[in-house]
Amino acid sequence: MSDIDIKRISYLAKLKLPQEKEEFYANSLKEIIKWVDNLKQIDTNEVKPLHNVINATESIRNDEINKHNSVEEVLSNAPERAQNFFKVPKVVD
Amino acid sequence: MSNNWEMVIGLEVHAQLKTSSKLFSSSPNQFGSEPNENVNFIDSGMPGMLPVLNFACIEKAIKTGFALNFTINKYSVFERKNYFYPDLPQGYQISQFEFPILTEGFINIDNGQDQKKIRIERAHLEQDAGKSIHDIDPKYSFIDLNRVGTPLLEIVSYPDLSSADEVVNYMSTLRQILMYIDVCDGNMQEGSLRADVNLSIRKPGGDLGTRCEIKNLNSFKFIKQAIEFEFQRQIEVLESGGSVEQNTMLFDTNTGETRAMRSKEFSHDYRYFPDPDLLPVNITQEQIDKIQPTLGELPNQKLDRYISELKIEKDISKIIISEKENTKVFEQMVNDTEVPPKLIASWLVGDIFAFVKENNLDVSSLLEKTKVIVELLKLISDDVISNKVGKEILPQVLNGENSPMEIVKKMGLEQVSDTSELEKIINESLQDEEENIAKFQGGSDRVLGYFVGKCLKASKGKGNPKLINELLLEKLKK
Repeated sequence: MSDIDIKRISYLAKLKLPQEKEEFYANSLKEIIKWVDNLKQIDTNEVKPLHNVINATESIRNDEINKHNSVEEVLSNAPERAQNFFKVPKVVD
Repeated sequence: MSNNWEMVIGLEVHAQLKTSSKLFSSSPNQFGSEPNENVNFIDSGMPGMLPVLNFACIEKAIKTGFALNFTINKYSVFERKNYFYPDLPQGYQISQFEFPILTEGFINIDNGQDQKKIRIERAHLEQDAGKSIHDIDPKYSFIDLNRVGTPLLEIVSYPDLSSADEVVNYMSTLRQILMYIDVCDGNMQEGSLRADVNLSIRKPGGDLGTRCEIKNLNSFKFIKQAIEFEFQRQIEVLESGGSVEQNTMLFDTNTGETRAMRSKEFSHDYRYFPDPDLLPVNITQEQIDKIQPTLGELPNQKLDRYISELKIEKDISKIIISEKENTKVFEQMVNDTEVPPKLIASWLVGDIFAFVKENNLDVSSLLEKTKVIVELLKLISDDVISNKVGKEILPQVLNGENSPMEIVKKMGLEQVSDTSELEKIINESLQDEEENIAKFQGGSDRVLGYFVGKCLKASKGKGNPKLINELLLEKLKK
């Protein structure tokens, strides 16, 4: 099993880990992967990937407009707003 | 310097689908609304909300499949592409990855004389993201989620393009087709059609270089500028002994330059996996067969028909088919009358389009005027009025002031085709012209034009030029 790059994983998950906890989380993840790796004992060469366990087709809807929620409802959980925008700390690439 | 380098370009075109509602929610798919007006709890990524697929998006994808010569896959899968950004409240974009709805298509682009086939690797359905506005506040970004969940079809070409002009040609051909089949409104200013350009350089016959991706270009002008700048940039890097880094670039529309965008500290990892909220899509042959007849005539089919059946010159046909609205107006006129299509075509792309442009009108406004235009053209083709008079009264006709025939009668502009009246005019015009008559009889054809002009002037532009010509010849040859 390859080593775990805990810094990269926390970056991708947008989680800030305290430095003293990094090793703890890395080890926990390793344990999980080790457990899941048990599946590798099964030969799956002949098995097609399964995208869903329900043997059904996607349900579809017709192209119709329904306005379910108002701007006020949509913004009601926003930590900050400015007029009808969500206001968030500046993010620029 | 660029002489011994060539560019290799692949294009990812994002086309917003022309539907009423969004891909997975019933919020309006509409541009220009008030901020966050077209957002519901699905779009804003609230926990527990479930996406439900809009069938119109599948229909539009299938139509595109036919128009771009794709294999239409009856089985396709929506997956989650994971990344964090404030205008993507779900924390992932629902897209198609391993099993896209369309694979292996192509279109032919017209390079002046010959055609070039551009292969298209795939096209898949996905959600658009919202919009971040960075320039209102120095410390904060403002987020408008109206665009979240707008259906996109991402059309990914093979790296078959080799110049900025070719890219523009490919993209405008694509735009034209998508507009013809009513899949996308083609409005690039509003972002309905945007492109990511993948560009690398190489020596002719050499190995492919490292590519850079220039994101989110929404005009032909910017696409061209960005490609030309990035081409030179890569050449300079390589010729000064450096190496091109695989990067995502932004094009700065103010400076005309490209610059690296994404943080390079860690590479991205989108961790695609099938979206557990959505079942795989299974399309039936019956559904596909139902959609094919709705395709209508494609631009190149129209072009061929105009040239071979309607006998219209290629250049004029091309102008007409360049916009679907043009063809609607043109065909409505052709169907309305026995006036030769050729006459209609040359008037349409000439004086009529000039009028539309001068008055800042939409071509579609002509749809209500085709009847009177055709009446006017009928007067010309029946020799009731001259071409010149037709041009003069066209603005009045298009402004709806009166019917063409009434304008003509009121102004007394009917063409004089009465032989005796014309002969009178000719006789008067030939008086005191012994010298020129002698010249003509001595073999100078140019004098004839002078006489025709003189007679036309004497008739105040109303004389039938064809008849005047004939009568003059008869007279002079005696």
